[in-house]
Parts: sequence; structure tokens; C-alpha cells
Amino acid sequence: MPSIVDIAVQNDGFSTLVAAVQAAGLVEVLATGGPFTVFAPNDDAFAKLPPGTVQTLVDNPPQLARILKFHVVSGIWHKDDMAQQATLTSLEGSPIPIRTEPIFEVKNSTVLAADIIASNGIIHVIDNVILMG
Amino acid sequence: MNDTAVLSPTLSPSTHEFSEVIHRLEAGGSMLPDTPENLKQIIGIYKAYAVPMDFYWRDLLYIAEKVFLNPLPAFKYFISDKYLDRPNAYAGDGADLRIWRGEADAHPELRDFMAKGEFNRKLPKLFHHLWHDRVNMEFAEACMEAMLWHEDINPQFNAYLDGDEYKQNSDLAIRAYFKGNPLMLGLYKLFPDMFLEQVKKLSYYANLGLFWEVMAPVFFEMSDLYDEGKMTTVPEAMDFLVNGIFAVAGRPIFHHAYIDGKCYEIIPKSQGFTWLYEAALPYVEAVFYRTAPFRGTKSYNAQAGQVPSDQKDFHYGILYADVFPVGSAGIPPTLLMQDMLHFLPDYLIEDYQQHGRGEDDILIQLGITFQRSMYNVTSAVIQALRAALLYPLDDPNPDHLKANRQFFEQQIDRFKRPEARLRDVQDQSYR
Repeated sequence: MPSIVDIAVQNDGFSTLVAAVQAAGLVEVLATGGPFTVFAPNDDAFAKLPPGTVQTLVDNPPQLARILKFHVVSGIWHKDDMAQQATLTSLEGSPIPIRTEPIFEVKNSTVLAADIIASNGIIHVIDNVILMG
Repeated sequence: MNDTAVLSPTLSPSTHEFSEVIHRLEAGGSMLPDTPENLKQIIGIYKAYAVPMDFYWRDLLYIAEKVFLNPLPAFKYFISDKYLDRPNAYAGDGADLRIWRGEADAHPELRDFMAKGEFNRKLPKLFHHLWHDRVNMEFAEACMEAMLWHEDINPQFNAYLDGDEYKQNSDLAIRAYFKGNPLMLGLYKLFPDMFLEQVKKLSYYANLGLFWEVMAPVFFEMSDLYDEGKMTTVPEAMDFLVNGIFAVAGRPIFHHAYIDGKCYEIIPKSQGFTWLYEAALPYVEAVFYRTAPFRGTKSYNAQAGQVPSDQKDFHYGILYADVFPVGSAGIPPTLLMQDMLHFLPDYLIEDYQQHGRGEDDILIQLGITFQRSMYNVTSAVIQALRAALLYPLDDPNPDHLKANRQFFEQQIDRFKRPEARLRDVQDQSYR
């Protein structure tokens, strides 16, 4: 079964996320560590950020890694598992608000595709880059 | 107010005391009404602010990195040429991200003022300093102290400052700095926490210096765009700030000290602290909203509850300031006003001459202009937070629009208290 990183690399629409994960030096941990639940912003999500935002982060890997870690939760959380959870704690340390009804939303993003199973975790595709606060 | 708010068809009108402002924010506007007069005032003052700010950020970093723990820092405001020439990371050809099209070293108007001062004569630097004919760096230090003192607003940064790693990093730098100085090393052995506290303060010098290094070119660029006729409305000015906030949000906040040519990473970049979370947002909260009552302006009786018992309820920042009594010699806001006075564009000087008492109350007039401009900066922060944490203004989902409404109303609730100047800045006659 492909890892979280393999799925992101093999599917269209995640090139920015893959590049960001590489720049932040998180490839290995997301490929072999885990299990993780990853809220994966697609390319359109990154494109919504104002000009320069992604570039500044890519130029500064520790800061980029912090933002990316906000998209990752330890353990495997299916959509159904999250129904009883108001928040999950990200690897960054800040809480991520979750709503599964009426629509599946993670903070201020909407889940476009849920429960994509990887060898070392699970991916939920989201339509916004989420930020702490 | 002559701007018209565009109400979302899916939400009923706000019943908030400042509903007009709420609707304006929901339509993508600023807390400040969109008028040509407001635009002229805020851009003019941004330019006048950016020049001394170009000194503040350079000197803050000079103190944090080079002056460091000098026990008699009499010359800490005598910034070295190296720091005047230091390229701003957001201006010039070699910029990380070029925000201002101008040059990266110290602004020519700043260099000119540093050389001649109000005397307009080249005299020895020490003379200008002792005559207080110089940039009022004490203002920058007051802002830094507000950030240091309101420690609850920067939890991750302060947790690091209180941790063992920071203690070890500081210890290395302290020992290196006082190498060959048995007196200071002895004092360090006796009072280690006192020295550590001083290093923490220096880390806030670095924090604020790195924050303002961004804002100076942002304000210079806004001024240039206005002069070129390319920035024509208040919302455009606010949006420029919003985009700037996002563009540099991930800039590292760190503290390096340079001792005997060696770099000591007291807060390394690898710690992951960012411009947005560890500098910009704490700065706005500490300086725009809270600060502390300024000594010498007004007497407060803490036992009678005239000073809030909780620091988070402090409301002595520019957004609440009564600029008239605040305009007393020697206190931080007046120091800034005096600094901005030296770099006002001609169109603002002409404006002030025609209002109030002309040049006699120009510090008050420009202080109120500054207050207007900071309502616009705060609007940019509110809109940036809304964009980062909530939803687009044209989101089709009514629940999302309700969440935006709730956020805007919570933010504006802070201006319900009588000291707030939000109501005043709606009116052009408030000068």
C-alpha cells in the first residue's frame, strides 16, 4: 500500500504540497513514520494565498514545517471517528477545530475527499491551507 | 461617512452599536471611512513614520546583536555604519522579497536628519545626542517593553525564553561577552537570573527590530504608490497591508548576538518562530491596544479601580489615546510624534497649517492622523485574520458569513469602551 507521501506524489493537484513537504524536510517522516492523519491542501488551496506567502515559507524550512505540522495529527482519524470530536491536537501543538455535520469541515476549510487510506495513515483533502489561531 | 456598505443578501443587518463599521468590514472595507482626505492623511503619516522606523529597526537589531549586555550602554543609539548600510530584507535589488522599490540601506532623509538634526547644521554626533536633537529611540524601546511586559500574548515565544535551551544559549553568549571581565562574570555567578532577564529583553529588541524591518518598506512603498496615483482608496491601502502581512507571515523571528566576530544563536531560526505569530500579532495587541498608562500624563488610582486589575483589559494604546493630554514632552507617543514631524510630506504640512492652530498644535494634529492610520492598520490585521482563520467575504454559505459577522463584532466590541476613538475617526472634523 502506498504511503502518505506516495499518494500525494502520484495524484494530480498536490504538487505545491509535495514541494512544500520536500522543502520542509518532512518527506521521510511522512513516508515512513506515523500513523498520521493528514489534512492535505490541494494546489488550488495554496493558490488562494496572497502572492509571496508560499515563497517566504519555502525559503524558511523551519517556519514552513511548523505550518505543515498544523495539518498533521497523530493517529488514524476517519471521518466517522471525528464525529464526536470538537478539536484534534495537531503535531504543531495547536488545536484544529473539526465539524463533520452538516458538511465535513476542518477549521475554515471544507473536506473535498475524505478517508483516503495510506500505509502509514489517512488523508483528508481540504480546500484551504489552515493556519493556527 | 460617504462610503456605501454592500450588505450580504443572506444576512440580516447587524444590530451592533457600530453596525455601519461592521457592514463596511463585511464589504471588504476598513474601520476608517473611504474618503480622499483619510487616504491622504494615512499615507502621508505612513511615510513620516517609515523614516524614523528605518532607524528604529536598525538600532533595535544593533542593540540586540552588538551592544548586547554592555552595562553602560551610553552609546547604544550611536548606530554603527554597518547597521545603517545593512540591507533591508524587503527593499533593494538583493531583497528576499522586494516590497519597496527603493534602496535597501538607510533612507536618505534619515541620514540627512541624523547628520544635521533640527538645527540643520552638521555638528558632532555627541552634541546632537545630548541636545536631544535626534531620533527618539526611547519610543521604540517603550514599544519593546510593552511587548515584554504583556507576556500572556506571546505564549510560545515566552515558553521558549523560559526554557532550558534558551538558558544554555544565553549562558554561552553571556560568558563570551564578559570573557576576561572577572567583575561581570562574578556578578553573573551571583545573580544569573538578572542577566538572563536582560537577555530576554534583548530578544524582544530583536523581535521588534525584525518586525519593523518589514513595516518600513511597506509604508515607503505605499507612499510611493500614492504619489504615483496608483493607490487611490482606503480599502486599497488596507489590502496592500493585508497582502504584505501574508507575504511575510513566515519570516523567521530569531535572536543572534555577534561577540568577537562569532555568532551566538540565542534564539535560532530553526526554532520556527514566525513574523506573524511571534511578532506582528503580539505587537498589535501590546502596542495598539494595551501598553500601560504613561507616567506624567494623568494620575490613576489603582485602588479605586481606575487601572484594570487584569493586564488583558489594559487600554492605553493608540486606538484609545486622547492625543491632547498624551501630547506631553518626554512620553513615548509624543516622542514618536516629534520624530514624525521631521519627515512629514508637504501635503500634510499644508493640511495642518489650515486647521486647528496651524503649526502650534501640529503634534496633536499629526497624532490624530496617526491614530486614524493605525485604525487602518488594525483593520488590515482584522481582515487578514478573517481571511486566514475564517471565510471569504463572498462565501455562499450563510453559516460562514455568520461566523465572519461574529468575528467582526467581537473585534469591534473592544472599541465600545468610552476611551476608544473608533467613533471619532468616523468624522473628518476630528483633528
